[in-house]
Amino acid sequence: MTVDWQPLLLTFKLASVTTAILLCIGVPFAWWLANTRMRFKPAIEALVSMPLVLPPSVLGFYLLLAFSPEHWFGQWLDRVAGLRLAFSFEGLVVASVIFSFPFLVHPVQAAFQNLPRSLTDAARVLGKSNWQTFMHVLLPNIKPALLSGTVLAFAHTVGEFGVVLMIGGNLPNETRVASIAIYDEVEALNYAAANFYAAVLFCLSFLILLLVYFVNRKALK
Amino acid sequence: MIRATINMRLHGTNGEFQLDASLNIAEGEFIALFGPSGVGKTTLLRCLAGLELPEQGNIVISGETWLDTAARINLAPQQRHIGYMFQDYALFPNMTVRGNLEFALRKDRNKKRIDELLALMDLGELQQRKPETLSGGQKQRVALARALASEPSLLLLDEPFSALDAEMRTRLHDEILRLQRHFGITTIIVSHDVGEVYKLASRVMMMEGGRIVRQGSPNDVFSVGQTSGKFRFSGEILAIEPMDVLFSLTVLVGNQIVRVVAMKDEASALHPGDRVMLVSKAFNPMVLKLD
Amino acid sequence: MNRLKGQIAAIDSNSHMSLVDVTVGDDVFTATLLETPETAEYLKVGSKVTLLFKETEVSLAKNLGGLISLRNRIPVTISSIERGNILSAVTLDYAGQPLMSVITTRSIDRMQLAAGDAIEALIKANEIALMAGHHDR
Repeated sequence: MTVDWQPLLLTFKLASVTTAILLCIGVPFAWWLANTRMRFKPAIEALVSMPLVLPPSVLGFYLLLAFSPEHWFGQWLDRVAGLRLAFSFEGLVVASVIFSFPFLVHPVQAAFQNLPRSLTDAARVLGKSNWQTFMHVLLPNIKPALLSGTVLAFAHTVGEFGVVLMIGGNLPNETRVASIAIYDEVEALNYAAANFYAAVLFCLSFLILLLVYFVNRKALK
Repeated sequence: MIRATINMRLHGTNGEFQLDASLNIAEGEFIALFGPSGVGKTTLLRCLAGLELPEQGNIVISGETWLDTAARINLAPQQRHIGYMFQDYALFPNMTVRGNLEFALRKDRNKKRIDELLALMDLGELQQRKPETLSGGQKQRVALARALASEPSLLLLDEPFSALDAEMRTRLHDEILRLQRHFGITTIIVSHDVGEVYKLASRVMMMEGGRIVRQGSPNDVFSVGQTSGKFRFSGEILAIEPMDVLFSLTVLVGNQIVRVVAMKDEASALHPGDRVMLVSKAFNPMVLKLD
Repeated sequence: MNRLKGQIAAIDSNSHMSLVDVTVGDDVFTATLLETPETAEYLKVGSKVTLLFKETEVSLAKNLGGLISLRNRIPVTISSIERGNILSAVTLDYAGQPLMSVITTRSIDRMQLAAGDAIEALIKANEIALMAGHHDR
């Protein structure tokens, strides 16, 4: 059997890029959500949580419509940034970020809310800017949540199927990630290849979760 | 010199009330804000620190305007140079004792001050420890040292001793007095402990329902008028027992238990838990030297 | 605690102590204080003060003759006696004002005190404290 490593590599590339983007926008967003007293907060929280309850195909379907060159949004993206998101790796990244958003935001938001308010107050009284407070006081004290949020988002991206299938299709080297490859190989009755991809995903997922629980137990001590 | 007027609506356990207080504090004074919980003491302190914005207010410290709601001036807490000790100490769990103090140091300041404070507060041996490994009294000392590390012009203490036992409290009272005199910092403490106020404050402001209802020296504010008794202590009644035609009162003064005799009509007006003032003539106490 | 309202009639003081005469009705009480007009604002001739003294510091005397160092002697009438095992409380009427004395039950028996007796109450000057103003309790 000749093994095609490409779907696995693509999967981890997608998960890594997605997680990196999520960390950059999700952590500040979680902080904002934890502190805002805005009237629309419940609506925003509900929106963030939608990917948890929606069938992935629903999200994928709407994203596909929005990304299509026929749609004003797709046209606008193409015109302004030269981005064509439907059936492309970039499109997968955008969809994955949206889809995995709650997996990072929820634990991090909860951790921010559990930090005593007085920590922020103390840092401000000591003359520290919001940025310094965020980097030196808040972030270091939510490390366990940050780690589990990151890993959950990563693992969830590795495991997603419906959204990818809807907006990415099955283009080798571009959108053919491991979960799609497994489905594809089974369709073609190529069980050995499917088994290979499945086993790698299974073992890696297990190892990642094991690491999270191990580190969290140490952090609690 | 501090002049402040603060006006804001507060939501207490007994409904809404108006915080309406003006302060006039001289340099180097040790002020106590005294009163039951929920009368706006902590909010007043937070307004001074800039952590809370009153609806109307004015704060001028040594000629510098920190707050003037009419002129839309409101200095951020970062710009006010205040030392603030929080009820829960608010030590940063991710930093060591020394780290907490260094974080508090203003830019370009000599790190010698940290060593000086660590020595002053007897924290030298604990400097590499994380806050979670410290006892309540140790945390309290670190919090105080951190509040002083930033060289504040004003020190605000929010019920800093409420979580400690009597012995530890007495020790820290001595410590805080020593440091306050050492640095000469104007200090405001929130407290609902008469003994603490007596010991620490040069002036007490008694608050009720958002207003300062009385102020003056602890003696003037707490004693019922002026009495010529020289021997006086405030304490808490622990027990009241009949004794022939008299009653015996067991009273906790500081951390000592004393018994005094009272008449029936006096005893019937008292209940365990009441705070009382024990007054005696200076002639009565007999003095025995302790080795 | 016994309370009597009065007015300062005279103050005699050295650097630390004062002997204060206070008129209550027709009588003059004397109190020794570890205070002087310089340290206590209310120590002024003419100011209203309340005399405070503990019931256990009030001694009683019947047909007292001779000289005695006690400065404060006032005529009183016994209104009632509450007998206890060791101590008893004697309620007194002093020119219409109630006072109380706590003495040993033994003394009551020895002196054969009973309600209606006209006797003298004695209080040492250094047992009397002063409170600025007039206070009922």
